[in-house]
Amino acid sequence: MILEKIKDIVSEQFDVDRENITEETDFLNDLDADSLDVVELAMSIEEAFKLPEIGEDDIRSISTVGDLVAYVKGIAG
Amino acid sequence: MKIILDAMSGDRAPAETVRGALLARAEQGLEVVLVGQEPILRRELEAAGGAYGSGISIVHAGEIIDMHDDPSTAVRRKKDSSMAVALNLLRDGAGDAVVSAGNTGALLTGATLTVKRIPGIRRACMAPVLPVGQYGAMLIDCGANADCTPEYLLQFAFMGSFYARKLLGCPSPRVGLLSNGTEETKGAQLQKEAFALLREAGEAGRIRFIGNIEGSDVFSDCAEVVVTDGFTGNVMLKTIEGTAKFLMRNLKEVMLRSPKNKLGAALLKKDLSGLKKLLDPGEVGGTPFLGVKKPVIKAHGSSDARAIASASRQAAAFVEAGVIGEIEKNIAHMRLRGDGAAEE
Repeated sequence: MILEKIKDIVSEQFDVDRENITEETDFLNDLDADSLDVVELAMSIEEAFKLPEIGEDDIRSISTVGDLVAYVKGIAG
Repeated sequence: MKIILDAMSGDRAPAETVRGALLARAEQGLEVVLVGQEPILRRELEAAGGAYGSGISIVHAGEIIDMHDDPSTAVRRKKDSSMAVALNLLRDGAGDAVVSAGNTGALLTGATLTVKRIPGIRRACMAPVLPVGQYGAMLIDCGANADCTPEYLLQFAFMGSFYARKLLGCPSPRVGLLSNGTEETKGAQLQKEAFALLREAGEAGRIRFIGNIEGSDVFSDCAEVVVTDGFTGNVMLKTIEGTAKFLMRNLKEVMLRSPKNKLGAALLKKDLSGLKKLLDPGEVGGTPFLGVKKPVIKAHGSSDARAIASASRQAAAFVEAGVIGEIEKNIAHMRLRGDGAAEE
């Protein structure tokens, strides 16, 4: 469920087909994201899952969709 | 029309921003929301002889983002800053546009994160209008995106064309791609690939692409939209500013060199002050950020009241012109398919 929701958000923000997004998708290498994209994504995730602000260190440690799923699961349970 | 003014940012804030708001109210009838530390803003309003409540309101924000704050994190770190609160107000519909003379990078990042990009737009960009020819020449991008892809440049060309048509009054803006030669084969990989995309859009009749132009052509009135990556654009802009200062300084030296020259200078005084005005950021107003969902205008850091009023007028014109609606309507032509060609 979390993965599906994250796929929707990533698909919309990076304008890529949902089918092409997997847990291994790397934001920098596969989606050509820069630091602004990653912060933007973090803010969308905070909003979608009603999470507290994701810290800068946590943002830096998230490089793939799988990392993001694990982070959200860790916070949201 | 309601302008949200980041009243605490800029070298001469808050005194000049408050006076600028009063000017915008008196001369253009604009409503202005001053965002910043309320006690200070009230004091400044009283000092400037302005009436609080008659088209001028205050929204309190306790912090200030300054030039030392990291642009990429400033708005997230300083949530109660005048800039962050102003952008939140814009996002929430409490006004029509934001004007700020603050940290450029923070404003751009904040606009992207808070107001958000127009869906389909890859990157917001900064696009000042240089005082060239009948309509001016928009340099797009001039510093927001150091690294660009050909698709970004295609989008800059479209956005610049809409702005030039709607706000500069140019019915058919000419788009030039800034390169190191006019031939199609000139430029680095970015320019070569962007050239192909721009030519395709030109052939489809969506923009008026005139090909590559060189830096020395920008001031010869050959294009109303000069497309470039943010790194090159910023280097070009700073070079222009530096050259203008160099010329004015040298001109002044020549004028003061002898009694004969001084006499000549006295005769030319009015025209020379016109030339100085041409190069004065206070007269030009501000730089629009294109690609975000609502108008955000960056006023020059050293803006005085006149420059703030001028940027507010520009913000109001931006709202009325409907540039953002035009971008949204044409977004399908501004994106690439998977094979690297523009979508139809």
